[in-house]
Amino acid sequence: MIGLIVFIAVMGFSLGKRDKLSWPENFIGDSVTFVQQWFYKPAGYIAGLFEDIRMMRDIYQENEQLRILASRYARDRITYNFLQQENERLKEELDFTERQKKMYQYRYVIAQVVAANLDPNNSAFKINLGSTDGIKPDMAVVSTDGLVGLVSRVFPLYSTVTPITELNPDSPNPRAISATVMDKEGKSFGIVEDYDKRTGMLLMNRIAENDPLAEGDVVITSGLGNVFPRGLEIGTVESRQVGDYGLTYTAAIKPSAKLDRLTEVFVVIPSETGTSGAAP
Amino acid sequence: MNLRWAVLFMFLLFIVESTIVPWLIPDALYGRLVPHFVFVFVLYSALYTGRHTALMLGLFFGLLQDIVFYGNMLGVHAFSMGLGGYLTGLLLERKRSPLLMALSIIGFASLLYDSLVYLIYKVFRIAQEPYAYFLIDSIMPSLFLQLGFALAVYIPARRLFEGSGKPSAGQEE
Repeated sequence: MIGLIVFIAVMGFSLGKRDKLSWPENFIGDSVTFVQQWFYKPAGYIAGLFEDIRMMRDIYQENEQLRILASRYARDRITYNFLQQENERLKEELDFTERQKKMYQYRYVIAQVVAANLDPNNSAFKINLGSTDGIKPDMAVVSTDGLVGLVSRVFPLYSTVTPITELNPDSPNPRAISATVMDKEGKSFGIVEDYDKRTGMLLMNRIAENDPLAEGDVVITSGLGNVFPRGLEIGTVESRQVGDYGLTYTAAIKPSAKLDRLTEVFVVIPSETGTSGAAP
Repeated sequence: MNLRWAVLFMFLLFIVESTIVPWLIPDALYGRLVPHFVFVFVLYSALYTGRHTALMLGLFFGLLQDIVFYGNMLGVHAFSMGLGGYLTGLLLERKRSPLLMALSIIGFASLLYDSLVYLIYKVFRIAQEPYAYFLIDSIMPSLFLQLGFALAVYIPARRLFEGSGKPSAGQEE
């Protein structure tokens, strides 16, 4: 009975948002993960080897697609350089403060995945960056394809990442990601805050009635509210229907990033001056 | 002295569970098939050593799982694993458990364990899906995985735990 009470107290206490963990947690978490990393990567390499042999046939097609993309990228880059120069000049003329200028400058730090938890209610994976590398809770984690998850707990040398499949508006500390649609950035707005495990779709809520969002659009983070960086790809819109109360719309979004068996991810670290002013 | 080896082996299993097993599970079952190899060992220790050993092992490895994959809260696995091990020990500690008996007990205990974890998450509103869906989607496939593993390690686990803890049991053999 006493055990039950103690456990409920521990669960309740550990439920909330904690920026720092106590030293026993840090010690155990880090030392076990240190051992885990010896196993996860070799296993991944071996599994990847078989995958590669199977994928050999698709590589030719992929190569062709990449060549088309590369040529398009070269063209876009020229336009981008002009636009950036123009933008910087305008910012100077309008007297932007240092903080405002740095607001959208992010650092992408590569991290290796060292272990994965398979528990469906608490799926998480561990990356080999921690608070000593400047990682903080709620930072966005992306793979080359798109948004993967958010940092949930930070140990000194490693940290735990909760994938976006764990988004849940009812949970005690819900996380919501403000999102918009690529090429319609100013016109479209919604909040990605839920994941339907049965269909494997993210749900984007609170879309206005006259929103131009349509099926097949690419959803990206909007950066509004300054909690999450902007311009990270989330997924593509699969369907759009009237939401719960009939006033707003809800869209089902297929995540573009592969969420299982990751080996390398990037943590998006906002520039220091940008976050200090924008912390909610 | 055998218990030391058991703990070491269980720690190794714990590592394997989260590092090598994810690469072996087929795509269709990923995220649904949940290995609880350590829990199977906790149950073996309950059956063949004693309920207090099982309780301690369960608490220790449950807490390890909780801390290492600290996503939402601590203590869920520690509580469920400890309770599962202790109850099993309480029921069957003094009886002789042949293979079939052990397997069925492990099956039931795994069901209990998964359900308990789900229930705790449900109470704290972290789990969203209804129980029936979760039961079919995840608990049932995992149950077969646990049973398969339990069958595979039955003989070594029994040797390991029967020799440890209670010296009287070792002398009878």
